[in-house]
Amino acid sequence: MPSTGPLITLARHEYRAAVRSRVLLGLIAVAVVTAAASVYIGAVDYRSQLADYTAYVNAATANGVGQVAPLPLQPLSLLRGAIEYLEIIGAVIGITIGYLSITRERTSGTLPLLRSRPVSNTQLTTGSALGALAIIATIVAVTATVTILSIGIIANTWVTGEQILKLTLAYLAATIYIATFYCLGVITTARSKFAVNGLLVALGIWLCVVLVLPQIGDTLDPDNQVPGGLFAALTLDKAHEEQILSHFGTYETVRTTIENASFEKHFERFAFAMTDVKDKYRGFTLGQLLDETRVNLIWLAIYPTALVALLYRTTRRQPTFNPGDSP
Amino acid sequence: MIAIVARQQVRTLRRQHVLAVTMVTFVAMTAAAGAIGWSSHNTIVRVHDDATTLLAADGRPAPPNPFELVPPLAQLSNLAIYVPLIGSLVALIIGHLSIADDQETGIGRLIFSRRLRRSSYLAGKLHGTAAVIGVALAASWIVSIVSLTLTNGSLPGSGQLARLAAFEVASWLYLMVFVLIGITTALATSRRSLGLLSGIGVWLVITFALPQFTSGLRPTTSLNPVTDPVSTSQTFFQITANARPISISEQYRALSAYLLGTATGGTATEAWLRILPIVAALVLLTGAAWWLVARHDFSRGSTDA
Repeated sequence: MPSTGPLITLARHEYRAAVRSRVLLGLIAVAVVTAAASVYIGAVDYRSQLADYTAYVNAATANGVGQVAPLPLQPLSLLRGAIEYLEIIGAVIGITIGYLSITRERTSGTLPLLRSRPVSNTQLTTGSALGALAIIATIVAVTATVTILSIGIIANTWVTGEQILKLTLAYLAATIYIATFYCLGVITTARSKFAVNGLLVALGIWLCVVLVLPQIGDTLDPDNQVPGGLFAALTLDKAHEEQILSHFGTYETVRTTIENASFEKHFERFAFAMTDVKDKYRGFTLGQLLDETRVNLIWLAIYPTALVALLYRTTRRQPTFNPGDSP
Repeated sequence: MIAIVARQQVRTLRRQHVLAVTMVTFVAMTAAAGAIGWSSHNTIVRVHDDATTLLAADGRPAPPNPFELVPPLAQLSNLAIYVPLIGSLVALIIGHLSIADDQETGIGRLIFSRRLRRSSYLAGKLHGTAAVIGVALAASWIVSIVSLTLTNGSLPGSGQLARLAAFEVASWLYLMVFVLIGITTALATSRRSLGLLSGIGVWLVITFALPQFTSGLRPTTSLNPVTDPVSTSQTFFQITANARPISISEQYRALSAYLLGTATGGTATEAWLRILPIVAALVLLTGAAWWLVARHDFSRGSTDA
């Protein structure tokens, strides 16, 4: 048997088992529906603004105006809500796949059966991880297809070749992001005597990394202190704002350090850069975008690598049998 | 019998360290909200001082007083985010554990070998979990007062104390909804993980999906205590805004904003009416839990996975 044979078999087993899980299918449905709904809401607004812009261009042309303002809208930015849902619900899905992967083998007793075949611990872990990666890639692909079709059909704007490349990179990052949480789910569940406690630990980490740390960073932003923005309330323009912020060096360092501690924030910054969400990146080439987000890319590589290393370390120490295992 | 079940529930949560974890979580999130509020307070003062100097140099009038923009209790505005975000997850897990543990350990089987009505069992569970949440929120109230005193240099006035207490009561009602979600999902499912994850699915829908659907609030916007009102001029939102009362996280946040002084408009009556959907959710979920507990087979243990 070729060396990849057991890996493919194990990956297929993981994929099929995950697809059979009602819990997982329910969470995936929530993720896809909410992502599509968020794009739909943005796309309806986009279509109306596009119609206004077209009317303005037609009127300007009819009156002999030579130069008209360029379209201020960016269709890919409609994906912002969908990306945010992948950040939050996608991470829960990743943890759930990891948790179910361990509990399934423990309770169904398939682990001793698998071990009776000539497969090593490393092959078992790799095979399961590949299966999980395939299911995560499927979820991301379905979400991406639904949201891109929504932009095309509802907003009457179809993505171009370069945009497809940028989207591919953003969704590739999303796959790695969710897969990292899969590793977390496997590690915490495998290390817990009671599987449900492992799930709770993973959810606690998820809460801190995905919701609490970025939230603290956002709310510490001076401009986010009052509705409409503090600087606007103080009748200050951009130049004055930058001048004042230059006095907040240490404060800004602390704030950005808190944000940078979150793996989610690095994924978000990269994905937002690829989908034109942030105005400051508009007009950048793909090369420039990758250069601007290189720090985020480095963190997007460091966290998964560390988690994968910990995953192998954890599963290597897993006993073959779990006779006293409790749920 | 209700008191016995309630006492047993509190004792179990204490033995499992869930009570301690809940207390620490609520105290920590209140302290964090206070620390962030204190930091914001200092930032606004410094930005205002710098702005006054800059505008004076340009010959322009001084900017408005920042403390007219940010009322004292607004320093704790992050609490209105942490309660629906962290507190509700803790409440959900407490509700889940209160049923799932009885099924798993066989206590459910044992307890119904005595003369105990199903409704008394549920009432006992609700009393026990409500007490745990209540104690945690009382601790949060005390930490809030300490935090405000340290930041402002004086004790909050009686009006502010009453507003803070009202905020904690509103939070308690909101969190009890999630205790009941934890209980009903545990009762409605045969597997423990299925119950817990179903509860988390409901939490995700209430916390993130419904506010997006009814008000166009993106998930990360829902995490910021200071948000600009979202335009509801779109036909879509004109229709979905009718469903806003069922978005209880929005109702809770709007009431909290009124109580903590960060609301940008609306009357006191409008703010207090927002408690009604939360109470309605409590009543409906209590009914569902009562129906489920009456039909539940406690002789069958739960399984994982």
